[in-house]
Amino acid sequence: MSLKRRLLMLLVFTLAVALTGVNGVAQGQAVKNPDTLIVQSFGDVATLDPAVAYDTVSSGTFLWNIYETLIFFNGGRTDLYEPMLATEVPSVANGGISADGKTYTFKIRQGVKFHDGSVMTTDDVRYSLMRFMLLDADGGPSWILLASILGFDVQSTRDDNGKLLPDIWDRVNQAIQVKGNSVVITLKDPYGPFLNIMASWSMVVSKRFVVKNGGWDGAKTNVAQYNNPPKPEDATLFDKSDGTGPFKLDSWDHATGNVTLTRFDGYWRAPAKLSRIVIQKVEEFGPRRLALQNGDADIIDVSRADQPAVTGISGVRIVDDLAQLSTNNALFMNLNVNAEGNPDIGTGKLDGNGIPPNFFSDVHVRRAFAHLFDRQAFIDQALRGKGRIANGPIPFGMLGYNPRGKWYEVSKDKAIAEFKEAWGGQVWNNGFKFSVLYNSGNVTRQTEAQMVKEAAESLNPKFKIDTRGVTWSSILGLMNQKKLPMFIIGWAADYADPDNFAVPFMHSTGTYPGRQSYKNPEADRLIEQAGKETDAKKREALYFRIQEIAYQDVPTIYTAYPTAFVVMRSWVKGWYHNPMFFQTWQDAYRLSKGQ
Amino acid sequence: MTTFVARRLLLLPLVAFGVTILIFALLQFLTPAQRAALFVTDPRQLSQIDAIIRKYGLDKPVHVQYWTWLKQLAQGDLGWSQTARMPTSTALATFFPATLELTIYIFIPVVLIGLWLGTKAAVRKDQFVDHFSRFFAISLRGLPSFVWGLIVLMVFYGWLNWFPPGRLSLDADLFVKSPEFHRYTRLMTVDALLNGQPWIFVDALRHIVGPAMTLVLVEMALIVRITRSSMLEVLRQDYVRTARAKGLAEPVVINRHARKNALIPVVTLTSLIFVGLLGGVVLAETIFNYPGIGKWGAEAAVQLDIPGVTGFGMFIALVTVVGNLAADILYAAIDPRIRLQ
Repeated sequence: MSLKRRLLMLLVFTLAVALTGVNGVAQGQAVKNPDTLIVQSFGDVATLDPAVAYDTVSSGTFLWNIYETLIFFNGGRTDLYEPMLATEVPSVANGGISADGKTYTFKIRQGVKFHDGSVMTTDDVRYSLMRFMLLDADGGPSWILLASILGFDVQSTRDDNGKLLPDIWDRVNQAIQVKGNSVVITLKDPYGPFLNIMASWSMVVSKRFVVKNGGWDGAKTNVAQYNNPPKPEDATLFDKSDGTGPFKLDSWDHATGNVTLTRFDGYWRAPAKLSRIVIQKVEEFGPRRLALQNGDADIIDVSRADQPAVTGISGVRIVDDLAQLSTNNALFMNLNVNAEGNPDIGTGKLDGNGIPPNFFSDVHVRRAFAHLFDRQAFIDQALRGKGRIANGPIPFGMLGYNPRGKWYEVSKDKAIAEFKEAWGGQVWNNGFKFSVLYNSGNVTRQTEAQMVKEAAESLNPKFKIDTRGVTWSSILGLMNQKKLPMFIIGWAADYADPDNFAVPFMHSTGTYPGRQSYKNPEADRLIEQAGKETDAKKREALYFRIQEIAYQDVPTIYTAYPTAFVVMRSWVKGWYHNPMFFQTWQDAYRLSKGQ
Repeated sequence: MTTFVARRLLLLPLVAFGVTILIFALLQFLTPAQRAALFVTDPRQLSQIDAIIRKYGLDKPVHVQYWTWLKQLAQGDLGWSQTARMPTSTALATFFPATLELTIYIFIPVVLIGLWLGTKAAVRKDQFVDHFSRFFAISLRGLPSFVWGLIVLMVFYGWLNWFPPGRLSLDADLFVKSPEFHRYTRLMTVDALLNGQPWIFVDALRHIVGPAMTLVLVEMALIVRITRSSMLEVLRQDYVRTARAKGLAEPVVINRHARKNALIPVVTLTSLIFVGLLGGVVLAETIFNYPGIGKWGAEAAVQLDIPGVTGFGMFIALVTVVGNLAADILYAAIDPRIRLQ
């Protein structure tokens, strides 16, 4: 939606609210649909198969509601766990983790029933983990278990030509074993974040159900047939499910994008308080806001920009300043841009109308931009003051975040000095021209790009920066081709561990350094060492050193760790926040409605 | 007549073919990596882009890709629409009935009221009804439909809570999904009556009123204006004067002699409106969260959902050809001077 349209819509809304002066549902009015939770969300479910889904709406719908994990987070903590489908959280003390940190033993809860009434077995648990790893759809989450169990270098089940690795089934089969009532997982290397990964990614599905519906039976002989399903619907659990969670899938209406879950009365704990959850896809903010006001929706998605429009509605509760495990709106510089047919680096020369492909390989250029970018002004202008100044890849609130980590002070003089030093003075004398790219429609990032442009152009009339918004898929496609000289993007946690931030931002094989041609062997070594380290103090020290490198090399300018807020009717009870939740209603088991 | 219709229908595959070539040609402006990126939703999946390009042959020459696509099409496979989360052919079959239903509820009042008001304005030129209709038409057309949509939504849903967005309310939706309800036509109001469930009919109607009202207001303005000017033209003709001189009653003169002759441009416009509505009333569907084809088509375009966009494009081509054909047949019915060979 264009800025103009958004503004106009906001204006119309403000006008109407002012004119009517009434809110549809007065406070104290009876709870609408008292046993049904209605959520209106911006996005829709892409797939309900837990081995394929890798977006927040899909996972947020089924995780812990339809499917459960072996262990779960303790309340709002991301570093403390409680048992779920396992009867205890493995630790060295209770013998669940071996002394060398490689073997994890999960004692499986007995008598848990799937939604179809059959009883969950240790074999189901083992099968589910194997299926998660071996289905490995393009763009799916399988790498998370593959890399943590089989070793850092195993990111896929296929070779570079897309052929299934011949020994992959054997390796997975070897690593995950059933012993009595336990499932034993043996890692190639000790891996600090493993329990955290299991808390989110060890979803248990019914093997019987999958096989009955034509899915993989766990055998080695036909694993190739089920690996990397060509279309989302080819994954067996795309639109059907049989989990152990407090809710079962009632329907997924593709026409509207709405998903309905109903209470599972055979649940292993007491049945949930809500009898139904309806997740509706409503793309426009206008109808979502009115549905909230009228009590037709209990929880809605609201962007930071739209927050004022939901503030002050009677009977509506907003909880703000929630910690988020994300490092967003970081400004990346590409040290070696792919120049082939690339309009974003102009002439490709340092002649005032372009930049050479390796423009950002001079650290003075990168430091100059770091001195130019005013992080606090960005938070105030673009995030409505909600966020914390960032100084590295690891977000605030996570182990390894260094509150005293150094960063560049905002200073025009220092920026000028760095620019004058860069490229033997040519940058300052000749000037430059290139583009900053962001995904169109993201107003926060658009503002950020504009701030970079204005700051640089105010220093020297020969400095020219274009800000260019392109579609999300274009950003990803161009980034993968290393064509973006400077771009804005973020990262949210797959699991609550600094490793999940240090690798994508700083390791040469990580998501971003690979696309910005950044490699520092020292950083790579420290990151790998920190991943294997199990002592928290030592790990923290290693991540502090990685932050120091992020500051010295500054391939990326970190701007802010944003905070989140949720909007719901006050009659929603039992809500709490965990930074690892993808959605507000993610632990719907505890939710209820009442005055 | 039959030959004419047959010939026009023969045009259809040609138009559809042209549309697909056009869409394919436009898509070549995007690099294979950009097209592959459609399949990933997150930067953490970037490492798989090369594999996706290989898997879908996105780096092959365009004619090879087009040929592969044609072969699939011959088997009735329009591809997987990433935005609809279903095969493109299923998506068309799912979203079109909703839009068709909405279109019917918009089209009938637009034509009836538009013709009536336009005629009245012409007959009583420069009188109150004429000024009123002109003011009405200009002010309605003057505001974009999404502004009307938001106003209607706010007043009739936010304030009065009469016409909620969506297609059905919660209870009705649950009932419709139950085995008790049989979907004969996929037009919700019709199915509700066929199932003998008047409360579903009322519920479905309540959800249609909002988007329908918005578009009736906007589209009707055009019909009023065109009918008025066309009628004024005809009323000045000699044969109208003759008819009046013969002493025919005024309603007969207006309705039988004048209006029928004034209808040609109106039919052209009406058919355009009808085709336009069927092609999807993107803004109204989006604002009212109505699961129609326009909303899906727009989303597919924005997200570069190639099978979705191509399927949608072919569908629009079909609707346009059929719509124009219908208009041509109507011309002949209204005006015998138009001979169809």
